[in-house]
Amino acid sequence: MDLEEDGPPDLVDISGLNKPAPSPITTQMQDLGLSKVPLTIVTGYLGAGKTTLVNYILREQHGKRIAVILNEFGDSADIEKALTVTKDGQETQEWLELGNGCLCCSIKDSSVNAIESLMDRRGSFDYIMLETSGLADPGNLAPLFWVDDGLGSSIYLDGIVTLVDAKNILLSLDEPPVETPEHDNEQPGLHLTTAHLQISHADVIVINKCDSVAADQLSAVESRIRSINGLAKIHKTQYSQVSQLESFLLDLHAYDGIDNLDTASQGHSHLDPTISTLTIPLPTLSPSHLPHLESWLRSLLWDRILPPSPTNQPQTSPAPTTPALDIHRLKGRVLTTEGKQLMIQGVREVFEMVELDGRAEGKGKLVLIGKLGGMDLEILEGSLRGFLEG
Amino acid sequence: MAEEVTSTKKRCIGVDCPNEAGTLQCPTCLKIGKESSFCSQDCFKRSWSEHKAVHKTASTALYNPFPTFPFTGSLRPIYPLSPRRPVPDSIPHPNYARDGDPKYTYADRNKIRILDKDQQEGMRKVCRLSREVLDIAAREVKPGVTTDHIDEVVHKACIERNAYPSPLNYVNFPKSVCTSVNEVICHGIPDKRILLEGDIVNLDVSLYHNGFHGDLNETYYVGPLARSDPSSVRVVETARECLNEAIKLVKPGMAFRDPGGVIEKHAKSRGCSVIKTYCGHGVNALFHGAPSVPHYAKNKAVGVAKPGMTFTIEPMISLGTYKDKTWPDDWTSVTQDGSRTAQFEHTLLVTEDGVEVLTARMADSPGGPVAMPPEVKADGDADGKAGNSN
Repeated sequence: MDLEEDGPPDLVDISGLNKPAPSPITTQMQDLGLSKVPLTIVTGYLGAGKTTLVNYILREQHGKRIAVILNEFGDSADIEKALTVTKDGQETQEWLELGNGCLCCSIKDSSVNAIESLMDRRGSFDYIMLETSGLADPGNLAPLFWVDDGLGSSIYLDGIVTLVDAKNILLSLDEPPVETPEHDNEQPGLHLTTAHLQISHADVIVINKCDSVAADQLSAVESRIRSINGLAKIHKTQYSQVSQLESFLLDLHAYDGIDNLDTASQGHSHLDPTISTLTIPLPTLSPSHLPHLESWLRSLLWDRILPPSPTNQPQTSPAPTTPALDIHRLKGRVLTTEGKQLMIQGVREVFEMVELDGRAEGKGKLVLIGKLGGMDLEILEGSLRGFLEG
Repeated sequence: MAEEVTSTKKRCIGVDCPNEAGTLQCPTCLKIGKESSFCSQDCFKRSWSEHKAVHKTASTALYNPFPTFPFTGSLRPIYPLSPRRPVPDSIPHPNYARDGDPKYTYADRNKIRILDKDQQEGMRKVCRLSREVLDIAAREVKPGVTTDHIDEVVHKACIERNAYPSPLNYVNFPKSVCTSVNEVICHGIPDKRILLEGDIVNLDVSLYHNGFHGDLNETYYVGPLARSDPSSVRVVETARECLNEAIKLVKPGMAFRDPGGVIEKHAKSRGCSVIKTYCGHGVNALFHGAPSVPHYAKNKAVGVAKPGMTFTIEPMISLGTYKDKTWPDDWTSVTQDGSRTAQFEHTLLVTEDGVEVLTARMADSPGGPVAMPPEVKADGDADGKAGNSN
């Protein structure tokens, strides 16, 4: 231990040690909102072509600084500490510093902090791609990266891209359900597979290996996917090659815009018995209606019950017979009588309603994707209208 | 008052050296927190055989464990920490006492527990004990006392009450209470730092008794100087008021996203900002669980208060920036600009028609609100370092 017999060490110049932290430069940059970096979650079964897609993007976007993070288990606590940063075809490994993370009292996920501090140290990225394991439920990951605006993070969730293998996806959707503790499988017969979760949460779905199936099977695949998620953009590809990347795979702005709320099919398709997409038209609302809409959504997303309208509330226990509801993704546009436009975004229990700048355009509507428990448009719309008027 | 790095000329401590010292210091002394300035390496070398004896006698001396860390304010950690204080086996330990891992499950983090009458009684009991311990600790707050002494007092008071001090080894936290001085936002580790006249200090006490955790904190003024310093009083009283305002909202049906708006609005009205990284949390048989209660506006927190839920609200308010930085001890959280912060916390039980403050102050509790001293003509003393400037 004692090295002092060896003679005096070099003196240390302390003039540089006690200066305040040099970090203000980077924090000021964040304040100016110069460069929030988009993070895309890439999901899909093993063999669907995730790695091929990621490599394809790296190749097509050479010159950009892209970080690829591998997530083995679909839980952010297990995000691997090493990530690969690619620029100009050069790959380098970086280490994420995941702090001890007193999980509960820190509101930002430790992986978000780790990515931010890496960017502080090593400079920013143009894109971040989080490549999940084949069994990941993207609905568990999305809320971690959909950081509250108030937190001023330097990254934002751009969207979820799901790859499916044209040949195997229908088999995967009909598999017996996997055990997922956070999903109560209270309705036997309704199979919620990982494939369902990956499709229902997706903002973009890439149907890959299209050359391996016949035309009629491909269209069956597409119809089935559409019936689950009528909102996502679909690309049909071979070898994970998508001709245009920006706004197709990157720069999706799926969580900060509502440009396209047109669903593939009107109403309710029964092609998939488990998960479906439903569009509820919304009338123009007066400001006094907005709290009602918010409570209705809370009931739907947090209590998972279809609320009875407040006026004719049955005095018995609250709607015990509501079938199992589980909304995975929610998007909407609200128009108000004052000419304002609000955006509704939600993934699992987490949702927000924010006012958008600019003139209101289009029609008011709510798009729900998830386990609707057999309820159709009439039931949901009736409940919402009753609630708004109550 | 507090030590400030001054530029007054110092003598070189080299043997018989007449020169002025520059900024060169002995690295060993630096490590053990001792000041020893030399004029040159030559002089240091010449004096080595005599100087190194200083290191031997200083083996139990106080030192800064992170001499090269860019601290954001004038506060430094002062080590060594006292040895870990034992808890008798006869007192039930929480699950993390041995390995530091609270082993939270997905449900712990996402499902808000509702307590029955017996469990509520358990919470009532542990919260009353926690209040007693905080009050005992607060009576020790005076100039000249180390934060480690406060830790010893808290530890003993817990054991006398047949309670385990919840912070001890929670995610490897080394002590039995958090002591957060001046620019420390929260999670300060009790060490050999002496409380100085003019400081403000937060004591965050948590007990585990009969299977339940109680959790509360308050910020105290150290000596009359702090109590008459306008900036310190402004931040401490604003934090106290923010908590009180937030508690007024609590009743069945309150969304956990709501308190943040009230807190941020009040803080801003007093020229203060709200720390965003740390939030209130569910507390029951788990030290930290669902829900998360952010203290800032425009958050997407999930959940609505229902009778039988117990959780904390604990706003941290800053005189300057809301941005935080963590010391290399992985715990101590400070403001990035070194400005002072204050915090108050209660454990709350949602009742059928409102709220019960389980950790409420007692008639003889030390501390309590202080009237704003007459503001010394607005000369922009809002940099939060008031204690140091006079």
